[in-house]
Amino acid sequence: MKEGHNASNITNDDYIHENGEAANTEESPAKQKLRGWLNRNLRIKMTDGRVLIGAFLCTDRDANVILGSCSEFLSEDHTEARTLGLVMIPGRHIVTIHLDA
Amino acid sequence: MATMVEEQNLVDMGEDKESQFDQVTYNWVDITQEFFDAITELELGELLRDELFGLFEAMSAIEMMDPKMDVGMLCNRGNNKPCTFTQAVDSCVLKLDNLTQSEVIGIIDSTYACIVSWLEGHSLAQTVFTNLYLHQPNQIVDKPLRTFCYAVYKIIEIIKDCINKALVFEEEDFQSVTYGYRLQQDITEQKIISMLKEVEDELPRKSRIKPIHVVSEKEYGDRLALYARIRFTKIFYQILSLMGKKEQLQQNLNECHTLLSRCSYMIQIVIKTVNSGEKADEISNYPNIMGFDPMVNQRLLPPTFPRYTKIKPRIEALKYLDELLNRFRTVTMITNQNGFHAALDFFLEFSRQSPCILSRSMLQIVYLPTTNRVFGVQNFADVLKDAARNFIAPPVLMPKSTLLQNHQAKEYVDSFLSHCVGLFGSLLQLTGHNRARQRDKLAHLLDDFAILQDEAERVDGFLHALSLKSDTPRSHLACFGTWILYHTLRVMVMYLLSGFELELYSVHEYHYIFWYLYEFLYGWLVSAITRANTFLMEQDVHNDTHKGRGSKKSARNKKKKSTSRPYNLEILMYQAMQNICGGYYKALVGFRMDGKILLPESPFDSERVRYEHRLLPFSSLLTPPPVHYQEFLDMTNAQMHKRNEKVTSEMLYLAGCRHFHQARNMLERALSLYLPNSSTVNEINDLLKVAKTNFVVLKLLADGHKKDSKEPPVFDFSCHQHFPLIKLI
Repeated sequence: MKEGHNASNITNDDYIHENGEAANTEESPAKQKLRGWLNRNLRIKMTDGRVLIGAFLCTDRDANVILGSCSEFLSEDHTEARTLGLVMIPGRHIVTIHLDA
Repeated sequence: MATMVEEQNLVDMGEDKESQFDQVTYNWVDITQEFFDAITELELGELLRDELFGLFEAMSAIEMMDPKMDVGMLCNRGNNKPCTFTQAVDSCVLKLDNLTQSEVIGIIDSTYACIVSWLEGHSLAQTVFTNLYLHQPNQIVDKPLRTFCYAVYKIIEIIKDCINKALVFEEEDFQSVTYGYRLQQDITEQKIISMLKEVEDELPRKSRIKPIHVVSEKEYGDRLALYARIRFTKIFYQILSLMGKKEQLQQNLNECHTLLSRCSYMIQIVIKTVNSGEKADEISNYPNIMGFDPMVNQRLLPPTFPRYTKIKPRIEALKYLDELLNRFRTVTMITNQNGFHAALDFFLEFSRQSPCILSRSMLQIVYLPTTNRVFGVQNFADVLKDAARNFIAPPVLMPKSTLLQNHQAKEYVDSFLSHCVGLFGSLLQLTGHNRARQRDKLAHLLDDFAILQDEAERVDGFLHALSLKSDTPRSHLACFGTWILYHTLRVMVMYLLSGFELELYSVHEYHYIFWYLYEFLYGWLVSAITRANTFLMEQDVHNDTHKGRGSKKSARNKKKKSTSRPYNLEILMYQAMQNICGGYYKALVGFRMDGKILLPESPFDSERVRYEHRLLPFSSLLTPPPVHYQEFLDMTNAQMHKRNEKVTSEMLYLAGCRHFHQARNMLERALSLYLPNSSTVNEINDLLKVAKTNFVVLKLLADGHKKDSKEPPVFDFSCHQHFPLIKLI
C-alpha cells in the first residue's frame, strides 16, 4: 500500500516538473508577465472592503490568487494589520490588484 | 493609476504593536486590468505558480470570504464596530455605576456561561474576555460587580494553573492562551476572599436600611439571588484553591468537603434564581446583555481558528457548575482508596464517565501533587512496593526478608521500582486524558511495558538465584514479572475495548477482536491472577511454618483471610467477560456462515491487513506473544469443522448461547459477593442485561429463527459501551 502511494506521488511531481519546463520554453507574453509578478508583493482589495497584502504565489484562469505571508487590513485606511499567513482569494471576490513596484 | 500609501494615522489606535510594519512604504501600481487580461490565457486547471510552490502548500491556504475559514469576514459585517471598554463607557453603552441588581445578576450568570464555554475548549478571547467589564475592572464603580470581576480573574488563573499542572489536556480539550490579558496576580488570594466576604456581608445589610415593606418582593428576591452568586463565587474560588494546593492535602480535602456542600447549596439557589438576571429568557448564541461583545477580540484570533464560539445558555452553564461540584466531590473520594490498585481502578472508573477537563486535572493533582509523592506525603515507589506485595507477595519485599541485604539485589529492586514509578505514573496520567486520546497513548505505553517486563524478569531471575542460596530458599521466579504482566494485559484489554467505545471497528472486524479477548487476553489475565493467588497462599504457608506453634491462632485467621481473597471476585469477573466475548465470537462466526455480515468488496480489502493493523501495538511485547493472523484463521476454521463433521451456524449460535448463559451465572454469583453500593454493581447489572438479552437472541437463532433472512444483525451499544446487545431486525 505504502509503496504504491509513494510511486503515484513521484509521477505526479514529475508531471508538474515537465509541465513547468515545457511552459518555460514557449510562454506567451501574458504568462511571462504573470510569472514576472511571482513572489512580489500584491495588495488586493476584496469585495467586502478588506485589503490583503502578501507575496504573490499562484493563480489560475479564474483569478483565484494565493498570497503568502499575508496581512489583513479591515479597510483601505485601516492601519492595524492582522497576520493571516497563506491565503487563497477567490477571483470573484477580488476588486482591485496593486503591485508593489 | 499609481497610488502612494503613506501611513500617518497611527494616533487613534492606542498602543499599536505593528507600528514598525506600518511604516514600510509601498509604491502601489494598479494592475487589476492587466492581471485579469493575463489570466485569460491560462488553460482550465492550469496553475501559474512559483516552482517552489506546490499543490501541497496550497492545501493549507485559508480561503478568504469563506464563512467557515475566514474569521475577518465577520468584523466587516454590519455597522456596529466592536468597541473597546473606554469607547463603550464614553458612548454610555456601558454603565459603571447604578446598575440594577438584575443587570449585575445577568452579567454574573453570563460570565459563568463564558467560563464554562472556556472549560469546554474554547479560547478565553472568545468567551470570558468578550465581557468588557473584565477589561478594566478597576474602573467599575458598582462594588459587587467590581469584586466579582476581580474574582473571575483569580478563578481563571487558578483553573489555568491546575489544568497546566496536571497536563492531561490536548488542544481539543482546553485553550490556555490568555491573549495578553493580565490575570491580576498582584491581588492575593486572601484579599479576594475578604473582598467577596465584604460584599457578601453588605448585601443583606443594605436591605435593612429600608423598611422591609418598602422593598418589593422582586427586589428582595434579586438581592438574595445576588447574595447567592457572590457567596457561590467565594466558595467556588476557595475550593479551587484548596484542591490545587500541594501542602496538607488531606486536611485541605476535608475542608473541601464542607465547602463543597455549601457551594452546592448556593448553586442550587443560583439555578433557581436564574430568571432574576436581565434577559434570562432570551435564547441566543452568546450573551445578549450590556457588557458583552462577541466581536471585541475577533482580531486577536489566529487565522486558523474555530470560528463560531457558541456560548452556553446561562441555565445550562449553571447546571454544568452544579455537576462540576459533584465531580469534585467524587475526586475527593480518592483519598479513601487503599493502595495503588484501588486508586488505579478509581481513576479508570472516573474516566469512564468522561468527566470534564477540570475535574480530570483535579484528580491528577490531588493524587500526585508532585511526581513521586502520593497525596504529597507517601513515596510513590513505596506505594507501588505495597501494591506488588499485596498482589503477589514477592519474597524480597516481605518484612523479614534478608535478600535486600545484598546490595546488588537492593540496587536492582530500587531501580526496578523507580522505573515502575515512571510507567505507572504515565498510566495514571493517561487516564486523565480524553477518551479518544487515551487509545493512542495506551498503544505507546505498551512499548514501555515491554521494556519493564524484561527488567522484571531479570530482577526475578537474579533474586531467585540469590534466594535459593539463602537460609530460607524460596522461588522468586515470575513475581515482579507476573505483576507487570497483569498490568500489561489490562492495558491490552483496555486498548481493544476502547475501539468499540470510539466506534472504530466495523462489524465485519468484530469477530477477531472478540476472539482475541476471548481466547487470549482474558484467559491470560485469569492465569496471571491465579498464579498470584497461589503465590500468596504459599507465602501464607511459609509464614505459618516460620512462626511455629506459638501463633496457631493467627494462622487460623490467615486461613480465613486467604479464602476470602479479593481475587476470587476478580477472577470471576474476568471469566464472565471471557464468556461474553466467546459468545460474541461464536455468534459472529455463525452470522458469517449465514451471510448476515456485510463484507467489504474483496479487491479492496485484506482481512490480514486489518487484523494486523488492529493488533499492531501488541507486537512490541514478548509476553504475551502476539498471535498471528494465520493462527486466527486456523482456529476459526477449526470452529467451523469439528472432527470432520460440518458445523452448522445453529451449532455456533448454540455455543454462543451457552457462553452467555455461563457469563450470566458468573455475574449473578459476583453480584452476590459485592457490597450493594459499590460502583461495580452497576457495571455488573449492565453486563447481566447484555448477557441475558444476547442469550435469548442466540437461542432464537439456534432454533432457526430468521434463518433465511440476510438482514444483518444490529449491534446496539446503548446498554454497555463495550459489549453490544445483538438485535435482529
